[in-house]
Amino acid sequence: MKQRAGFLYTLPQILWLLVFFLAPLCIIIAYSFLKKGLYGGVEPQFSLEAYQAMANPSILMVAWRTLRISVIATILTILIALPCGYSIARSSNQAIRLFLVIVPFWTNFLVRIYAWIAILGNEGFINDIIRWVAPGSAGIQFLYNQWAVVLVLVYMYLPYAILPLFSTIDKFDFTLLDAARDLGATRFQSYTRVLLPNIRSGLVTAGLFTFVPIFGAYAVPLLIGGKDSYMLGNIIADQLTKTRNWPLASAISMTVTLSTTILVFLVALRKPKEQKWVFDADPSAAMSAAGGR
Amino acid sequence: MVSTTHHGRMRRLAMLWRIRRILRKGGKAARKFMPVRSPASNLIYWAVIGFLFLPLFVLVFYSFNAGRQAQWQGFSLVWYQRLVMDSPELWRAFTNSIMIAGGSALMATAIGTLAAIGTTRYSFRLRSTVATLSFIPMILPEIVVGVSLLVFFAGISLKLGLFTVWIAHTTFNIPYVYLLVSARLEESDPSIIEAAKDLGANEMQILFRIILPMALPGILSAFLTAVTLSLEDFVITFFVTGPGGTTLPLYIYSMIRFGVSPVINALSAVMVAGTVLLVYPARNFLKVFAAR
Amino acid sequence: MLHGGAAVKGSDVTVSGVSKSFGAFKALKDVTLSIQKGEFFSLLGPSGCGKTTLLRLIGGFEDPDAGTIEIDGRSVLGLPPDKRHCNTVFQSYALFPHLTVFENVAFPLRIRKTPRKIIDDRVMHYLSLVQLEMHAGKKPSQLSGGQKQRVAIARALINEPSILLLDEPLSALDAKLRQHMLMELDSIHDKVGITFIYVTHDQQEALSVSDRIAVMNAGEVLQVGSPRQIYENPSTEFVARFIGETNIFAMKITGKEGVHISGKVAGIGPLLVDDETDAQVGDEALATIRPEKIRISREKPQTNGGRINIMHGVVAEPIYSGFQTKYIVRLDSGMTVTVFRQHANWSEGIPDIDWKDEVYLSFSAADMVIVERRAT
Repeated sequence: MKQRAGFLYTLPQILWLLVFFLAPLCIIIAYSFLKKGLYGGVEPQFSLEAYQAMANPSILMVAWRTLRISVIATILTILIALPCGYSIARSSNQAIRLFLVIVPFWTNFLVRIYAWIAILGNEGFINDIIRWVAPGSAGIQFLYNQWAVVLVLVYMYLPYAILPLFSTIDKFDFTLLDAARDLGATRFQSYTRVLLPNIRSGLVTAGLFTFVPIFGAYAVPLLIGGKDSYMLGNIIADQLTKTRNWPLASAISMTVTLSTTILVFLVALRKPKEQKWVFDADPSAAMSAAGGR
Repeated sequence: MVSTTHHGRMRRLAMLWRIRRILRKGGKAARKFMPVRSPASNLIYWAVIGFLFLPLFVLVFYSFNAGRQAQWQGFSLVWYQRLVMDSPELWRAFTNSIMIAGGSALMATAIGTLAAIGTTRYSFRLRSTVATLSFIPMILPEIVVGVSLLVFFAGISLKLGLFTVWIAHTTFNIPYVYLLVSARLEESDPSIIEAAKDLGANEMQILFRIILPMALPGILSAFLTAVTLSLEDFVITFFVTGPGGTTLPLYIYSMIRFGVSPVINALSAVMVAGTVLLVYPARNFLKVFAAR
Repeated sequence: MLHGGAAVKGSDVTVSGVSKSFGAFKALKDVTLSIQKGEFFSLLGPSGCGKTTLLRLIGGFEDPDAGTIEIDGRSVLGLPPDKRHCNTVFQSYALFPHLTVFENVAFPLRIRKTPRKIIDDRVMHYLSLVQLEMHAGKKPSQLSGGQKQRVAIARALINEPSILLLDEPLSALDAKLRQHMLMELDSIHDKVGITFIYVTHDQQEALSVSDRIAVMNAGEVLQVGSPRQIYENPSTEFVARFIGETNIFAMKITGKEGVHISGKVAGIGPLLVDDETDAQVGDEALATIRPEKIRISREKPQTNGGRINIMHGVVAEPIYSGFQTKYIVRLDSGMTVTVFRQHANWSEGIPDIDWKDEVYLSFSAADMVIVERRAT
């Protein structure tokens, strides 16, 4: 009786996710092993062409670039977010400081991308200032390169790193830092030897929250980046809508999915006893900023 | 006699709780005395706040620019005028966004809340499978969700448009609702439900009189989160939309790609102001509500 | 009353004119103290009295707004915690949760890049001092409260500091364990022979192990002395009330001959007190008597010409607690007096005194002490 009641409650969700999440995912898996149709779509014929096409140097190069950009952006984000989270956690008005971090992210994702175009562009804010300081100088194009992409990605995902880091640092017992100092550690040593090992779960959550969406980024490289900053997300979209090679788009999607899922499970399951899933940090706090995808 | 002792015990309990709270507050206050001995981290914090707010200021600044180009040519409200009087497509996109956000959040909240109650209250064979299945969509890159849905809709020959957008948004909202409501339900003391049973409530009464009212703040905040996520979404919508299914983010996208009009600055400024003015009181209300 | 045995190795600490504020809150007001080498010195006071702040100033976690702190005659102002030869045992133990017991104790040595061999020897030595050699491989979360406490002590001692600062180290333990750890602390103090500065709000703890105690309240040091002096001869009303229980009479001095003072208590009558005081005839003064120094009886006792105070009242509440009974007696004036009656001769047919009994209280003038009228 109880068993059936619990199952009935969850039935709508199970069905919805089966039909609109799991089934589409399975179709993609299937498509990746089929032959591409002449005018888009697929031919019902088993083939490994799509996976062979992925070995194409131009796609491999984009994959490598995607990985590189994601790793650099994630590391930068965490390096910036760490002192921020610490300063919020030690502040006496945490609420206001958190609020200030979250507010910019209630603004639409595309509006924020557009704002960066307005800042970095040829006719943008920075060039405005440059012309104002040195009239007649030619504009400098800051947009359409990898560094602009990294900058905007860091901007987009900072709160995702700050919030989980804050909530783990907030649970950290700061007298441990006093104790470390008392026992002879320098301030730097007290951070590296006592603080960091004790907020590992927060670091992991922050890393996943930034790395995973950046790895699948589509809009930022499309609008901010140039030809040299195409990422896997852009290739998938192109194969799907322009080249109309659905098996290839599916195969790349599968690869992205598998690699992120494996990464998440590896990292999250490494210390299963001490942390509750990857969301050891308060999930609702992390999601109050979930605006900025 | 029985009732008076019971009453006395309740009062004592209430008093203990109050003392506990004061003690806790005392603890927090005592921590205030400890100075933040890391000026460097404070400096970085304020620099980051500057970095985060910079784009918003730039947008608001340009929205009052008389000129079409980015260069400053004097104060003007012309773009606001255009935004209100002369942008019918924008307003159609806006209406679509609101409809999709409301509709998908409603559906996702209904489905996710039921599932959260099911998995937190009962144990059954597929419970952990359900939890994992609900978790995966959140960790997948959006582009994969969008691509797979597009392929799926094409496979079952469903015409792309507002309806497919609604399905897609409900799909990516369900996991968030499920997680937020489960978190809220897990926080609540299981002995409350045992007490209700002890006092003679049946399953339905427990659901409607105990569980749902207790989880209400969580459900509301899940609903709001779903609305926000839906209003925000660009990537997934981009793939699954069709004729008549343009949402506000898609409209902004097309403006960025095909001819920027400074109306977009005015629109952005209005959206910045609007979210701050709307969302903050809403969150505060929720917080007060939740603390009750 | 310094402990003999181990050679005195500690440092002395001189605090002079130290003040510290946190915003508008004055945590310490012009505090002056001197703590001797090898002493077990307690800072005793209610929470918020500034004792922990004073400890943090000595430890180097905060800097004073005014005044100086000297260790062995040298000012330590501006010196970081690790340069002061003192180590702290924190109230919450502050054990590093990610390290084992061994690694916790080894932490200070590893910071200094001490050779491995020396680390192993020293850590095991100090772990055996606190009887934890068997638990070296455990994580703090696997230890009981008392064990965590001992790890914290071993870790603080491994640098061989000349001063050990203890910030309410026993407050998280239950009553029985606290007694046990207190004795253990005392024996560790005997073994290592360094200065212990011990912060507590528990007067029993302070009285039972300290060489000397400083009683603090509201940022000020009210009295410094041996446990006996503090208990038997409190200088202010606050000290008298804070340490143990006491009865206080407000009187007007009517006569004074050396230490023999006679006064008048409103509603009660004459009161005899033998104590040294600057107060003069006509002054208002407070006289205090400890509950265990009052005799309670049903018959009116004889004074035999001695300087004995006798008062009459009714038992308002007898509280039996095994080894003694505490009586709250309401005097005819309406004032209540607390009396302890030991049960040493219980079986010898002494008449039992119970609720509503009329009783006489008698106590010697010599047992009374005049205290300063200062509630704070």
